[in-house]
Amino acid sequence: MKLSELKIGQKAQIISINTKGIIKRRLMDMGVISGEVLKVEKIAPLGDPIDIVIKNYHLSLRKAEAQGIEVEVIE
Amino acid sequence: MKTITVAIAGNPNSGKSTLINAIAGTNLQVGNWPGVTVEKKTATLKIDDLIINLVDLPGTYSLSPYTQEEVIARDFLVREKPDLIIDVVDSTNLERNLYLTVQLLELGIPIILALNIYDEAKKKGYEFDIEKLQELLGIRVIPTVATKKEGIKEILNAIKDFAYGFYNITPKKINYGEDIESSIKAIEENLKVTNPLLLSKYPSRWLALKLIEGDELVMKEVDLIGDETFLQEAKSHLFKSHDEDIESMLADIRYGIANGVTRDVLKKKDGKRVDFTEKIDRIVLNRYLGIPIFLFAMWFVFKFAFDFSAPFSDWIDTTISGPVTKWTFHALTVVGSPQWVISLLTEGVIAGVGAVLVFIPVIAVMMFIITLLEGSGYMARVAFVMDRLMHSIGLHGKSFIPMLLGFGCNVPSIYATRVLETERDRKLTALLVPLMSCGARLPVYVIFIGAFFSDHAPTVLWSLYVLGIFMAIALGFILKKTLYKGFAPVFIMELPPYRVPVFRDLMIHTWQKLKHFVIKAGTYIFAVSVIMWFLLNTPYGVEKENSALGRIGKTISPVFEPLGFGTWEASSSLVAGLIAKEVVVSTMAQIYVKEEVEEEKEGVDKEKGFIDDLKDAFLSFGFAIRDAIENLISGFGIKSLSANEEEEQRPLKSKLQGIFTPLTAYAFLAFVLLYWPCVVVGIAMKQEFGSWKLYGQALVIHSLLAWFVAFAIYQGGRILGF
Repeated sequence: MKLSELKIGQKAQIISINTKGIIKRRLMDMGVISGEVLKVEKIAPLGDPIDIVIKNYHLSLRKAEAQGIEVEVIE
Repeated sequence: MKTITVAIAGNPNSGKSTLINAIAGTNLQVGNWPGVTVEKKTATLKIDDLIINLVDLPGTYSLSPYTQEEVIARDFLVREKPDLIIDVVDSTNLERNLYLTVQLLELGIPIILALNIYDEAKKKGYEFDIEKLQELLGIRVIPTVATKKEGIKEILNAIKDFAYGFYNITPKKINYGEDIESSIKAIEENLKVTNPLLLSKYPSRWLALKLIEGDELVMKEVDLIGDETFLQEAKSHLFKSHDEDIESMLADIRYGIANGVTRDVLKKKDGKRVDFTEKIDRIVLNRYLGIPIFLFAMWFVFKFAFDFSAPFSDWIDTTISGPVTKWTFHALTVVGSPQWVISLLTEGVIAGVGAVLVFIPVIAVMMFIITLLEGSGYMARVAFVMDRLMHSIGLHGKSFIPMLLGFGCNVPSIYATRVLETERDRKLTALLVPLMSCGARLPVYVIFIGAFFSDHAPTVLWSLYVLGIFMAIALGFILKKTLYKGFAPVFIMELPPYRVPVFRDLMIHTWQKLKHFVIKAGTYIFAVSVIMWFLLNTPYGVEKENSALGRIGKTISPVFEPLGFGTWEASSSLVAGLIAKEVVVSTMAQIYVKEEVEEEKEGVDKEKGFIDDLKDAFLSFGFAIRDAIENLISGFGIKSLSANEEEEQRPLKSKLQGIFTPLTAYAFLAFVLLYWPCVVVGIAMKQEFGSWKLYGQALVIHSLLAWFVAFAIYQGGRILGF
């Protein structure tokens, strides 16, 4: 499943990051690495971007970027 | 005397600037890093016999070479080799912050870690084993609460101890696992033989790691292409044992270390769960309430920025154009100065100083607000809410604030583009900001609308604002596909916890911006005002038609022929509008109805004495404060701008009615809305982006845009029979 498909409140574990280059590097620098557990906290009022909690902080990213992140729902 | 260079590094939102302000206070010098728009703060402190050169590095999450900030921070650390790094860490988010610390350790530079926001972490029930953290990483750790200046003395003492060799700090080489370590070793060994010079230039472990990562910038710098045999050999076993790319592998390892260390040194007890931030966000970012609250907040920001500062700007304006000009005039007359000197000093020099000073209130208030929005954490929420919309014209959510403020005044908006993350975003936003119809354009609209469209005034006024927004969308779209192709800005942004900003920080920041503006921009604005005086008055005493400005107007007027207003009067006024768009009106008044206006002025002014005028100036300053506060409390209104000008301008209006038709008037208004941004915007662009290039682009693009739109309106209107 893709991160962009998760619903608010769902928890998931990152399986892989399938983007390349700058975006991937940036995601990893922000703690989005495989094995990490995240929770979808909010979706912006206009439907994009989304707000996730990862490594104990809030990170927002667009659905376009979230599409490249493969996750497995755990809760 | 001993000198020591200390770099300050840390994540954004770790309280880094508060810490620096607490350490250096007013000693801070603010400038830009060479060639880029990233802010550089430096300070020199003298403690006893020790001189400490502080350099603030841009806030970054990592030292990878992908953002400008990261490259700057990294280049400074590698090239300038500071003696010491102060790494500011948010204690409430230790693990993610340590990710940067791990990368700093690779450089082999001694580190003092400021465990900042320590009070909040304590409240959350976090307990740190500081001894252990020091030991594990080979660094010095000092808990700090920068907002309360706690731990600052300890940091300064630690710097002193280090400088005099009382306290040794030797950064640990952290084990990256057998695979990576053997690659590092192989590369280091090889370079020792083949290229010892390189190893003397760069920290060897860092260099080896960068070569393993395949960091393009480093490769280029050290003249390696990456498929050298020794590199391939050193890396080959990594590919065999891991199917991931090496970059991800290293990120994993670094985060693994950060995670391990955090687990070793941090115990989380049950503290008060003060989830203040979550509570606020639940309302502020709510699906239904989010937008209305946001709009309300923005309305307040705008109102505060302009309604609050306007009375002060007005006060400066009336004081300078009134008593100051009048008494200088009298003083010069008494001394017997020639007419042209009096005119130059009063209409050129004093008006020039006035032009600089009227910006002070608005820039001060605006900078205060921006710092407040950033410092409190709400700026990130603005971006979060607006990103969807802004993204459609190729911008980042954060661009919304500069654009919004543009409706008040474009100048501080240009400064406000600094909140954006990439240079491309900053430039693109700065190019679109002038299309937001600023307050200075209003007097032009008011005159023309009063003269031609008084029955439909609100609709026509509204249509101009919408036209500006619409053109910004269109231009954004075009620029995104042409000049500013680049990659669309990524939106991967931390939503930091809400925090109450420190008042001292707000004041320091506002003051620095203001000082910068007055000194740097002030000189230019002043010069331009004086030049304009010369244009209007050389040769001295001739009719306006034959002045330099009149002749420029005459020369370029054919350009405006197809737009319906190809007269020298109109084009001269437009040229004069380069100073500020409201000057279009005053120039028209001078050209069309010169005599009447002047007589009136002389008559009223002369009666009051000097003391009375001084008293008036003080009194009216009091009124300005009252008005500012009143404006803040009372309803939203453009009232202050339009009401009193109405009467004065009647002669101009009737003149205009004879010259323009409703159609040409509207084409003219559209042109004024869109054409070249005023020179103060240009100066702000020069200051912010380091060259006149962006203003050059703006002049060309906006003038073309204005011409085509006005052309379409006039010619289209004619075809439709208006």
